[in-house]
Amino acid sequence: MIAFLRFELVRTLRNVRFLVMLIAFPVLIYLIYAKQHGTSQGLTVATLLLVSMAVYSGMGSAMFASGPQLARERQNGWMRQLRISPISTRGWFAAKLVQAILMIIPGLAVLMVLALSYGHVHLAAGRLGELAVVLVLGAIPFCTLGLVIGLMFDSQTAQVAQMITLLVLAFLGGIFIQWSNLPHGMQVIGKLLPSYHLAQLGWDAAAGHALAMSDVAALAAWTAGLGLIAAWRWRNESTTA
Amino acid sequence: MKTNSTDAPAAVVFRDVVKVYNDRVTALDHVSFEITRGATVALLGPNGAGKSTAIDTMLGLRTPTSGQVRVLGMTPSAAVAAGKIGGMVQTGGLPENAKVSELVGLFRQLYRDRRSLRELLRLAGITDIADRRADQLSGGQTQRVRFALALAGKPELLFLDEPTASLDVEARRDFWRSVRAIAEQGTTVLFATHYLDEADANASRIIVASHGRVLADGTPAQIKAYTSVRTVRFTTSEPDTSALLRLPGVGDVSARDGVVTIRTADADATLPALYAFGRPVLGLEVGGGGLEEALLALTSDDRLDAGARVAGRSGQSASSPTDDPASLMTKAG
Repeated sequence: MIAFLRFELVRTLRNVRFLVMLIAFPVLIYLIYAKQHGTSQGLTVATLLLVSMAVYSGMGSAMFASGPQLARERQNGWMRQLRISPISTRGWFAAKLVQAILMIIPGLAVLMVLALSYGHVHLAAGRLGELAVVLVLGAIPFCTLGLVIGLMFDSQTAQVAQMITLLVLAFLGGIFIQWSNLPHGMQVIGKLLPSYHLAQLGWDAAAGHALAMSDVAALAAWTAGLGLIAAWRWRNESTTA
Repeated sequence: MKTNSTDAPAAVVFRDVVKVYNDRVTALDHVSFEITRGATVALLGPNGAGKSTAIDTMLGLRTPTSGQVRVLGMTPSAAVAAGKIGGMVQTGGLPENAKVSELVGLFRQLYRDRRSLRELLRLAGITDIADRRADQLSGGQTQRVRFALALAGKPELLFLDEPTASLDVEARRDFWRSVRAIAEQGTTVLFATHYLDEADANASRIIVASHGRVLADGTPAQIKAYTSVRTVRFTTSEPDTSALLRLPGVGDVSARDGVVTIRTADADATLPALYAFGRPVLGLEVGGGGLEEALLALTSDDRLDAGARVAGRSGQSASSPTDDPASLMTKAG
């Protein structure tokens, strides 16, 4: 599994353009809006936006770490080649998960550095650390979401499916628009989404509030559910493909 | 034929294996065979014969609808997990953004028992492209890289599904030289091909398949004995097929509208006996058959039973006591 993880990381890092593109959008948004004055939920705009963009960047990185590439490599036969090697299903899933988690870190680091310098965000080291841990661990359901998309869609539709999913998560989860400003129906849906709960955890951590267990439970439930779907798709494919 | 150990389980056991896709297409139709350790076996047949399905099943990529598949005494997935088998599947591809050497290096590390990187690159003939990106190779180069991946773990059993499909003549020769070298080290090799010459030159045993059934199974010499098989055709009144079947060399007899078709392994013995039979023999024709023709006849129509299929004629038909096509070859050989 370690050898496989290293292999996956080497080839991901080789794709620099892809990595830069993943980070570019949230960084740009941060640069545009972070200088605005005002406070909300007890946080300055610069801090609020740090969390929003870090959540967005984390979701995107986690999902794109596997999604469309997995769909392409299922189609071109690489996954079949791997299936006849001794790497176990569990080992493969674990490596993919770790890879996706590691992919979150560059975007998060860039945004944090930007927030501390350009955004003049003042967060105690402890609080900053807590925020980082929340954002990294909280992205795990999105790692499994990327796997599910990669396993369910073909190479042509996976990219689009992923983009749409990401935007829906961002808008309805209250990351691009404040959740309280959404129409009522969308608020109901939004509150069910993992993006909503991750953002809440992020803002709570940044503000120094206690983390709500309901948010943690929701993310855990999403991870478990998506993990089951991924396992089901995987098994299904191995017997009928 | 080399054997690693006399009491070791067979390399492959296929027992009454059936694979039906989507409840409609029967890819494997009650297939049974066994492959001993150390053998090099060719699975020969036209497209749609079920060769790929059979190999995918042995690799655990597909589960049979019914029947039993054992590989090295284990289930296919257990043998894969134990790192004891290597495979080149037809639809296998290579990943994005990785170098050839990284890819081969990865596969080496996935196995406990492994060949050196240098040896793998040499065996597959890819030393010169080791630093190239695996997703930017030609079809033939990709094929050779996949061969290296199949060999990475010093497999006890090697499956090759149409391994030379996109190789040129020279690459093909190098490829088979490597396969023979690996077979000489004791590795059991099973390869699928629709090239007869490839099966003949590289296998110690050939299994001929069509439409999901095994049509013939024997050494290349036995399979090639089909070339000595002749088709004798004549017109007679009230043909007695069961009596004709007892003539020397005759494998099967079919009769339709007074036209009798006999397949014989020894036309020189059959013809005098036929004339001595006491019935009028009119318009006698003796047809020859090359190996390709014989196999074409074998694989052309599988609605008939194995014996009649060889004659390629339907209608009233009588066969040797056993329907096993190997019995034909035993007679012929």
